[in-house]
Amino acid sequence: MTEAALSAPVAAPAVDRERLTAVGFVLPSFVIIAGVFALPLMLLLGVSFVDANGLTIANYKRLLGTPYYLWVIWNSLRLGLLTTIIAFLISYPAAFALARARGPLRSVLLATLFLPLAASVIVKAFAWTILLRSDGIVNETLMALGIIEDPIRMIFTETALIVGAVNIFLPFMILPIYAIVAQLDSRYAEAAATLGASPVVTFFRVILPLTLPGIIAGVALVFSLSVSAYVVPTLLIGEKYPTLATTIAKAYLLAREPGFGAAAGVVLLAIAIAVVALSARLSREPK
Amino acid sequence: MSESSPHLVVRGVSKRYGPTTVLDHIDLTIRRGELVTLLGPSGCGKTTLLRAIAGLAQPDTGKVELAGRDITHVPPHKRNVGVVFQSYALFPHLTVAGNVAFGLKVRGMARREIDVAVDRALSLVKLGHLASRRISALSGGQQQRVALARAIAVEPDVLLFDEALSALDRKLREEMQVELRRLLQEVKATAIFVTHDQDEALTMSDRVAVMNKGRIEQLAEPRELYLRPASLFALNFVGLSTRISGTVLSADNGKVDVETKVGRLSALGNFQAGSPVIVAARPEQLRIGGEDETNSASGRVRSVVFQGSRTLVEVDAGAGESLLAELSGRDGAIPGVHDEIRLSWPVAETFAFPMEAQA
Repeated sequence: MTEAALSAPVAAPAVDRERLTAVGFVLPSFVIIAGVFALPLMLLLGVSFVDANGLTIANYKRLLGTPYYLWVIWNSLRLGLLTTIIAFLISYPAAFALARARGPLRSVLLATLFLPLAASVIVKAFAWTILLRSDGIVNETLMALGIIEDPIRMIFTETALIVGAVNIFLPFMILPIYAIVAQLDSRYAEAAATLGASPVVTFFRVILPLTLPGIIAGVALVFSLSVSAYVVPTLLIGEKYPTLATTIAKAYLLAREPGFGAAAGVVLLAIAIAVVALSARLSREPK
Repeated sequence: MSESSPHLVVRGVSKRYGPTTVLDHIDLTIRRGELVTLLGPSGCGKTTLLRAIAGLAQPDTGKVELAGRDITHVPPHKRNVGVVFQSYALFPHLTVAGNVAFGLKVRGMARREIDVAVDRALSLVKLGHLASRRISALSGGQQQRVALARAIAVEPDVLLFDEALSALDRKLREEMQVELRRLLQEVKATAIFVTHDQDEALTMSDRVAVMNKGRIEQLAEPRELYLRPASLFALNFVGLSTRISGTVLSADNGKVDVETKVGRLSALGNFQAGSPVIVAARPEQLRIGGEDETNSASGRVRSVVFQGSRTLVEVDAGAGESLLAELSGRDGAIPGVHDEIRLSWPVAETFAFPMEAQA
């Protein structure tokens, strides 16, 4: 206190300069976020309350009041939840395996994880249709081996949709969990063991809580990606499984109802924000 | 169980990692309530031995018994040992009290008993007022105490410290050494410390095991270890010494005469005539001036280092040999650099070690 008061006249300009530098660093990203992200979102929100007759909440009434559109919302949620849960169950052990791997094996595993990110979602979704369609590789192989007589219907089923979505979004679950697991000191598990905790107890009381930040980041990423996925449901299941994302596209591109499309966008955004906010809260919660 | 009966017994424990022998048939018996240090340079196997006792490393051969129970193949969570790690390994997602309560919770102790035990453990390390703090809000010294409280709270049969004080700065470390010893004696704990710090070993332990290349070279009380080192390695690793190489001229009943480049010296030891040996003495045995019935050598003072209560004088005795004398302030005149002086020391405090055993 005294020291600060004494040195205040000298220190003040230095502090100002520090603050100025900080503002300088933040400014470019702030401008981009505000101009490219926040502003369009505001416009979207505004448009969602407008129709041909002016200001209205009819768009939301239609979306949240029609059984068909509630089913559409449920489809999106279902896609997001199933993809996230299955991706998590696959990713958690995979992240540990990746963290344990040494030398060339680790490089190869990381490369197999990163390389698919370089390919477009459309390419990957089409790849799945080639694999799964009636005259696709999987059916041809099974028939050639005599395991099945006639092709099984795989493409345009929910199973195909979820398998494809999990495959495409998997890296976004594995990487954040891996980042945490790789830093996890093995002494924590050893300390728990010497304190009397069995491996199962150690997992639930120490390993799981300590890796929770990675899980939460992965869940938030994969859920918000899959709940709003457009290409994946369009190519892998099509018309019979409409989601919020396909509904938005239809409203803008076919029906020319920008207000309704915007309302669907706002609902989708609200779902994603709710999940991200919940995750952020969970990761801050002590214990 | 009586005070003197063996509490922890390590019998013939060996461990290899690939071509490296980390532990080479270790035998070690520790009594209940004893504080023992495993002292040695990095790579001597001391940490592996500690981990074998904790169950975190499985020995290839040999047995470990604790409190009358063969625990060689018992997993760590059923051994009832307490470990304080060098990095402390405190759980960052739990509070101070949560960390200390962890071992009691997993043992299924009742909530009320846990609270009492946690309070007791925290007050023992004088951290009762920080019970609800998060680990990240503590200083290094405080974290060290929490780690200790967490290990003590479960009332383990043996407490194991893996370089537990080495992360603290020197002043804090020296305070903790004294305090830790007092605290462990107060709760009548049996403890094993692993350290490469000889001062820590001498300060904290009832007995010290000097380890080298996977073996225990000497297991002795600190005083005996310093005054009667059993090997050249033990002599080198604990304390300072003057060491001069030579050849045994004649041997007589535990005493040898040795021809060295600085003259003929006498030392304690059993050797055949003609054996190459190292003759050694602790620096505080060396005095300025020559007397009868003693060893002596002369040379030119190379350096004088004042260290408060003592002054270390290094003398160049020629032929590549040097002498190290520790003079206290009361010994009168301290020589200056380049002075020609003669140093002498008693034969009864001069040891001879085989040359080939040099580490």
